[in-house]
Amino acid sequence: MPDVSVTIDGTQINVPVGTNVVDAARLAGVAVPVFCYHPKMKPVGMCRMCLVEVYTPKVDPATRQVVMGEDGKPVLALMMNKLQTGCTTPISEGMVVNTASDRVKFAQKGVLEFLLTSHPLDCPVCDKGGECPLQNLTMQWGPDSSRFDYEDKIHFEKPIPLGDLILLDRERCILCSRCVRFEDELADDNVLGFGSRGRSWEIISKSTPAFDSKFSGNTTDICPVGALTSSDFRFKARVWELKSTPSVCNLCPVGCNTSLDMRYNELMRVMPRENDAVNEIWVCDKGRYGHRYAVQENRLTTPLIKRNGEFVSATWEQAYSLIAERLGSYSGAQVAGLAGPKLPNEDLFSFARLFRENLGSNNLDHRPGSPADLPLDDLPRTYGVGKGTNLMTLGKGTAVLVIGADPEEEAPLYQLRLRAIAQRGGDLTVVSGYPTKLERSATRKVRVKPGTEAQFALALVQAVAAEKLASEEVLGSGRLKFSDEYRRVLAAHKFDDLVAATGLAREVVITTAKAFASAEHGIIVYGRSAAADPAIPQALAAFAALTGKLGKANSGLIALRPGGNFRGALDMGVRPDAAGQPGLSAQQVWQQAGTGVKAVYIAALNPAAENPAAAQALQKLDFVVVQDLFLTETAQYADVVLPAAAVIEREGTFTNAERREQRFRQARQAPANLPADWQSFQAVAQLLAERAPVAVAARTLKKGAKVFTPEAPQGWTAMLTSDVNDMVTRSVSGYNAASYSALSTSRGAWGRQPNEAVYYDGTSYENTEGVGIQIAASAEDSRTTLQLNLSAPALRPVGELVLLPVARAYDGGDWVRGSKLSARQVPAHIIMSVADTARLDVGIGELVTVSSAAGSITLPVQIETGLDLGVALLPEVRGSTLGALLTGAQTAITVVKA
Amino acid sequence: MIGSLFKGLGTTLKYLFKKPVTVEYPEVKRPVRERFRGRHQLKRFENGMERCIGCALCAAACPADAILVVAAENDPHKPNSPGERYAARYEINMLRCIYCGYCEDACPTNAIVLEHQYELSFYERAGSIFTKTELLVAPDQGHGEIPPILQHMNRRPSPPAQIDL
Repeated sequence: MPDVSVTIDGTQINVPVGTNVVDAARLAGVAVPVFCYHPKMKPVGMCRMCLVEVYTPKVDPATRQVVMGEDGKPVLALMMNKLQTGCTTPISEGMVVNTASDRVKFAQKGVLEFLLTSHPLDCPVCDKGGECPLQNLTMQWGPDSSRFDYEDKIHFEKPIPLGDLILLDRERCILCSRCVRFEDELADDNVLGFGSRGRSWEIISKSTPAFDSKFSGNTTDICPVGALTSSDFRFKARVWELKSTPSVCNLCPVGCNTSLDMRYNELMRVMPRENDAVNEIWVCDKGRYGHRYAVQENRLTTPLIKRNGEFVSATWEQAYSLIAERLGSYSGAQVAGLAGPKLPNEDLFSFARLFRENLGSNNLDHRPGSPADLPLDDLPRTYGVGKGTNLMTLGKGTAVLVIGADPEEEAPLYQLRLRAIAQRGGDLTVVSGYPTKLERSATRKVRVKPGTEAQFALALVQAVAAEKLASEEVLGSGRLKFSDEYRRVLAAHKFDDLVAATGLAREVVITTAKAFASAEHGIIVYGRSAAADPAIPQALAAFAALTGKLGKANSGLIALRPGGNFRGALDMGVRPDAAGQPGLSAQQVWQQAGTGVKAVYIAALNPAAENPAAAQALQKLDFVVVQDLFLTETAQYADVVLPAAAVIEREGTFTNAERREQRFRQARQAPANLPADWQSFQAVAQLLAERAPVAVAARTLKKGAKVFTPEAPQGWTAMLTSDVNDMVTRSVSGYNAASYSALSTSRGAWGRQPNEAVYYDGTSYENTEGVGIQIAASAEDSRTTLQLNLSAPALRPVGELVLLPVARAYDGGDWVRGSKLSARQVPAHIIMSVADTARLDVGIGELVTVSSAAGSITLPVQIETGLDLGVALLPEVRGSTLGALLTGAQTAITVVKA
Repeated sequence: MIGSLFKGLGTTLKYLFKKPVTVEYPEVKRPVRERFRGRHQLKRFENGMERCIGCALCAAACPADAILVVAAENDPHKPNSPGERYAARYEINMLRCIYCGYCEDACPTNAIVLEHQYELSFYERAGSIFTKTELLVAPDQGHGEIPPILQHMNRRPSPPAQIDL
């Protein structure tokens, strides 16, 4: 964009066209105080705090020429002959701005004195006190006294709940509308608004349940006064008493940077930490209120060993030696390891090493082994978005294709980030078989017949050939290799048949493909529904590769799979196919329990909670070790239960969906000095190594290694988590640059991010502790050849209704314990279309019996108006015993009224 | 030389017939000055409400980090203090305290006052931590009206920035 030259308080600078006076002043190093303006939102000019003197060159109306004075300089005129609000005034050529004249100072004092006339000045009891923009701005720009009689202040009843998470104190509110605008503009939740008029003007919630938004906590951050406070942090501590520890949220694959605010070893609150490439300055409610599980009383603190059907406390030595003795007594094929995708990379790496090197087993998985498990898919490792990807910088010239994903439920921050790309002029196509919230923000909403995302993805690949959209550069480079299967599948599926299957017009597919191919940057986001059929990621990877959207920043695939660190689990090799002969997947482990598999080591997973088959299988096993924070449903079947330190009690790294590895630190001393998970794995491995040297197993594995190259004969001698990380950087491909010190660097002299949004905020935290490092996608190396493959779409099951499992953010996992969000937790239910419920004559909340070839369960019904006839959705929430019902990615079911 | 000796003994002799300045502590206790800073008390209003609102400004002002305040929300039907917030825990470590009185200065409700008790000795270190039960005066020893602004408002009031004694 062209620059224009303006003078602000005597400093002349060039700023891009369209910048407003407040932002321009900031670039010139001049602070203009604001309350309602926020750089992430459109200016409204409600608070009048940013009043400045703006002079523009005088223009002769007759000649349309700038009038020149006697000194040869343009004659300046005060704009509108009065002060202007800086946030709503865009700069223009030759503009001169005064932010510190007497007139401006008089106006600023007046605005603050007026705002304070209806402010209760109860700073001593206000949770915002100490980090309050109103306090700060009054100190710097405000009057020293008020002419207003204190006794005359208007008073309202003290906080009224605006929802179960957020409280509103109407006396303190200055009606800047930041919260309303955040929910409307950024979060797309039309839940807040204004009520009444005049002195009774107030913020109200318009939704039922009140303030029904997954991003509500952010409004307390951007509130410039203490009007919105969180019920989670209410009166817990004064902000100056808090000690912040940088952390990373592991509840979904976004990997939001957070700040754990601690007082005396106690978690007081979780706040977002600025990282423009990950979470900007936001964090979802799950990340903000979902970390209280770590401070629950019912945490396990000692190892438990089952004796005669009862758990008895044991020492760590007893537990470790029992585990080593029993696991070591089986052959490698008889033991299996399941480690949850919420564990940090160091733990997953150690777990994989324990099994591959010490137990000689490839039976490793990070999935729970439910029939709804997603097939392994590592395409984003090759075709993923390149190093340097930053969604915040994208707008015009970017095409985003979201397919088979409900970002708000699977990775909530993507809702904000993808919507923002569309608002900045990017092209956002949302392809889905059922209604999702992101559709409302899409520039092109494509509703395919449920379960036909695979046909749509294949049709895109066909459209590339039909419309000649392939990138000359990529085809010319000769990097792409096509398998026979690729040609066979393309030949077998004609474009028109594919389009007909999706129920769309052919133009829709072609315009989507054209928009993506012609864009400068192309990003494909696919989620749970798309990952369920391996044909979809393959077709999407082929589409991205053919259109040249690979191997560079801001182009490529982003997969959203369950588990905050699923990417780390795939990279660290907690998967059956990482090295050598593929081992058993979690599903196969449960099938072969008692016959082929004798012993299982489960860490941070709770398969028995949702899957009755897993619970039965656990009973058939000879020996089960469960390592978790709580005595979970799965732990009930264990022979040995090991407690572990929670995320906030240790350090480590997580890798997010965009392959950005980020480091988190220890914020709190673990109860009973519990070890981190990797320390337990190491202790067991050390005992096993004493029993039998394992150099042989390690050497055989190294030959066929794809991802995981164990360092034989490296001992188990890590003292600190950083020692494990050193090993990760040496042995996992792509991670060689991600040392702890590298992960801890932030950009800029003081670690300030390029967007200094924090400047306008009450409580967003500057990132000084590291923005993480993006692991390069293998397509970024121009020497790699890319083998494209396709497979036929999975056959749609035939039945009265087709059931699709869908992800939910509030899924009832262990993170809900002690969280304010437990009230938002919905029990298991089935979602059906209006027509189907009418046919069955059931209403909302009524019970139906759902039966499939696998089994049957009784569930309450919810109705979704946008849903197609013949499709039902099953939200994946704890207690839905999904495993009892599902037969695969799509399940044919019959439903009768219970 | 001899002269100076008798001069000194003369001074001694003179004081033999004067009233002694020392007192027989602990049987006799000297009154302290009005502005003496001894052990703290947490004051109440006339109606028995606690003045402390748990704002922890005393803890912030304390140069010796001797004060711990953990606040909680008042039960609207049975409030401990005027307003929403009260101190659920209030502890002062008397071994750390340097009796500077900054906490008094910081207090927006004049709840904490350094009173005249100076007999502070302990058999163990834990005994030096005075909890809220020890610091808070008896309900009948309150003084000062709740300011009219707080009395008249038919609401759960917020305490104003300064409440006069």
